Amino acid sequence: MTKRMIVAALALAGIFISLYLTLYKLGIIGELSCSIGSCETVNTSKWSRFLGLPVAAWGLLFYLDVFAIALIGTLPRFEDERVLSIVLVAESAVGVLFSAWLTYLELAVIHAICIWCVTSAVIVTLILVVSVVDLRDFRIGESELRT
Amino acid sequence: MSPTNEPPRRGSSAPTPPPPARKTTVRNSRSSNRPKAFFWLLGLIALIGVAALGYVATKPKSSSVQSAETADTTNAGPSQGYLIGKVDAPVKIVEFADFECPSCGGWATVTEPDVRTRIINAGLANLTFYDFPLTQHRNTVAASNAAACADEQQKFWPMHDRLFQAQDEWNGEATDAPKAFFKRYASEAGLDVAKWESCFDARKYQKRISANLGEGLRRGVNSTPTFIIGNKLYPGMRSYDELKGIVDSLTKAGGSAAASSTPRAAPR
Repeated sequence: MTKRMIVAALALAGIFISLYLTLYKLGIIGELSCSIGSCETVNTSKWSRFLGLPVAAWGLLFYLDVFAIALIGTLPRFEDERVLSIVLVAESAVGVLFSAWLTYLELAVIHAICIWCVTSAVIVTLILVVSVVDLRDFRIGESELRT
Repeated sequence: MSPTNEPPRRGSSAPTPPPPARKTTVRNSRSSNRPKAFFWLLGLIALIGVAALGYVATKPKSSSVQSAETADTTNAGPSQGYLIGKVDAPVKIVEFADFECPSCGGWATVTEPDVRTRIINAGLANLTFYDFPLTQHRNTVAASNAAACADEQQKFWPMHDRLFQAQDEWNGEATDAPKAFFKRYASEAGLDVAKWESCFDARKYQKRISANLGEGLRRGVNSTPTFIIGNKLYPGMRSYDELKGIVDSLTKAGGSAAASSTPRAAPR
């Protein structure tokens, strides 16, 4: 199992979580519930939208993109493409920063924790860590080549 | 054994390892083909994801509650909320809440005092409370009954406040027998306890409670607390500032004639 495969698997899990949150936000799924500590308070707060789209939908687009790049990166043709690893690191770094901002809002402003949002933040952090290790493999490989 | 590992045709007989291909030198941690395990893992994640989403999506939004509690809404008579504030206040706030729901409790104890003093008592708006008992809360229907029986003696709001303040001691996680607590609150609120108890035991207002739930479902409520102000549904806990903003904007717009509720005209 290569690093990019791990990234793809994590992104796929992220796709389902953000899809759930998006459908919830759009009112397509969801149950009668009492909203403390749950995603409802967070997902109905005014910070649940960003540039006109639900934050969860941004997450969905993000994970779809990362999944696609990581999956392409596992193809024998592309697995030595260093640029894909750079893109994965860059994107997941943005994802981690955005998640950190959202988690800060949950803790400090909304005062409610959405377990699925936290799970997503953990997943994106793992994606970043694995992507960085993946990129470092290239560096190591290259330095070995030079010597 | 790959063909490259065959002994060289000439030279030393010692099987020297083949020089690594350039590819593997660049990516020393990669295998060039995708193992089956990868696709199994993706398949497993997809399966779990689809199954979980399918389960959530097909789970009936409200029918479980409806069948459990509002099966008799047809002969339940009209829904009837509990009004606080001036009957003819310019803006009408409708609240659907569950006595056992922690966020309703949080709202009632933290935010509502401000809303009462600065919005309702100031005459800017009135508020009508409707029961919206959720099935996952074991004692909430009993609490709605306790409050309805207090209403019979014009003490709905003291009972409402007491129930929410003391949620932790009578909720479904704390006890199987909430009645003892409700009875104590009834006595503390200065109710005729005997009268309250016979009302409570008879579940005299069960149909009204079911009708209130049915009213909420009809209006599209699916979580508690949910507020309806003007024509709009505001699910979730709303801060004082948020409510004040909504009330002010409606007042400017000329009141909320659309917020048609059927509250009983009994302030406080």
